[in-house]
Amino acid sequence: MAELLRTFVTGSFDLLLRVFLIVVPIMVVLELFEGTRPFRAVVRAWARVVRHVGLDERSAAPTLIGFLFGLAYGGGIIVRDVRRHDLGRRQVFIMSTFLSMVHAIAEDSLVFIALGASIFWVVVYRIVWAALVTLALGAVAAMVVRRFRR
Amino acid sequence: MGSFPDNGVPGSPVDGPAPAAPPGLGARFKRDLGIGLKSGLQTFWVLARVMIPAYGATLILERLGVIEWLARAARPLMALLGLPGDAAVPLIVGYVLNIYAAVGSMQALGLSSRQITVLAIAILIGHNLLVEGAVLHKAGMNGFSFGALRIVAGLVAAAVANLLMGLVR
Repeated sequence: MAELLRTFVTGSFDLLLRVFLIVVPIMVVLELFEGTRPFRAVVRAWARVVRHVGLDERSAAPTLIGFLFGLAYGGGIIVRDVRRHDLGRRQVFIMSTFLSMVHAIAEDSLVFIALGASIFWVVVYRIVWAALVTLALGAVAAMVVRRFRR
Repeated sequence: MGSFPDNGVPGSPVDGPAPAAPPGLGARFKRDLGIGLKSGLQTFWVLARVMIPAYGATLILERLGVIEWLARAARPLMALLGLPGDAAVPLIVGYVLNIYAAVGSMQALGLSSRQITVLAIAILIGHNLLVEGAVLHKAGMNGFSFGALRIVAGLVAAAVANLLMGLVR
C-alpha cells in the first residue's frame, strides 16, 4: 500500500512535470507567434489538408498541435479554443476523432519503429486510416444530427 | 494600451480579436508573453485536475490484477490479428497504462517484425485510455465512447493491416 502510494506520488510528479514543461512553452510560443505571417502560413497549409476531413481553419491549429505533440496537449488547446473561439460541437467531435486515431506522430511512432515495426504501416497507413475513420464518423454524426433535429 | 477609436469596445478582453492598430512591438511581446503564460498555466491546471485522478485509477486497476484478467479474456482475439495469445498482455497494458509500458512487455514475447507492426498499429491507436479519455471528456466529448472507438478501430486497423501484409507477400 505504501509502495503504491509512493508510485502514485512520484508518477504524478513525473506526469505533471512533463505536462508543465510541454504545455506552458507551447502556449507561450503559440501566443507569441499566432498572429505572425509564418505561423499563419503553416496553419493555413495544414488547414488545406485537414479541410478534407471536415475541419475548418479555426480547428487547424489545435489539430496540428495534437498531431505533432500528443492528445493531451492538443486536447488542452482544444479546451482553450472551445472557450475562446466558441468552436462548434461538430468541430470538436471531428478533431477528437482524428486525434484519437493519430497523435504524437513522431514520438509514439518512433517508440515502435525502434522495436522493429515498419515505418510505412505505423505512420502512413495510420494517417490514412485516421482520415477514413474521421470521414466516416463525421458523415454518421451529420446524419444523426439531421435526423435528431427533425 | 493606447486608445483605438475604431475598436469601439473600450476595455475589451485581452484575448479578443487583435486590435486594428498594434501597440509597440515590445509592449505587444510583453502582453502576448503574459497571455501565453496565463493560458499555459490555466491549461496545465485543467489537464492536471483530470490526469492525476485518471492516473491513480490506472495504478489501482493494475494493482487489482485487472490487466492480467483482461489479458486472459482477450487471448482468443489475438488469433484474428495473427498474433500469439500472449500478445494480449502488451495490448491491455497499453490500453490501461501507456505505450512505453506496452513496449516493455512486448520485448519478452519474441514476435516477428510483421507481428510487431500489427500489434504496434493496435496499440498506437488505442493506449493510455483513462488519462487521454479524461482529457477528451474535458473538451466536452464522451471519454468512454472514444475509448471504445479507439479499441475497436485499432483492432480493425490491425486486422486489416495483417490481411494486406499477407496479400503483398
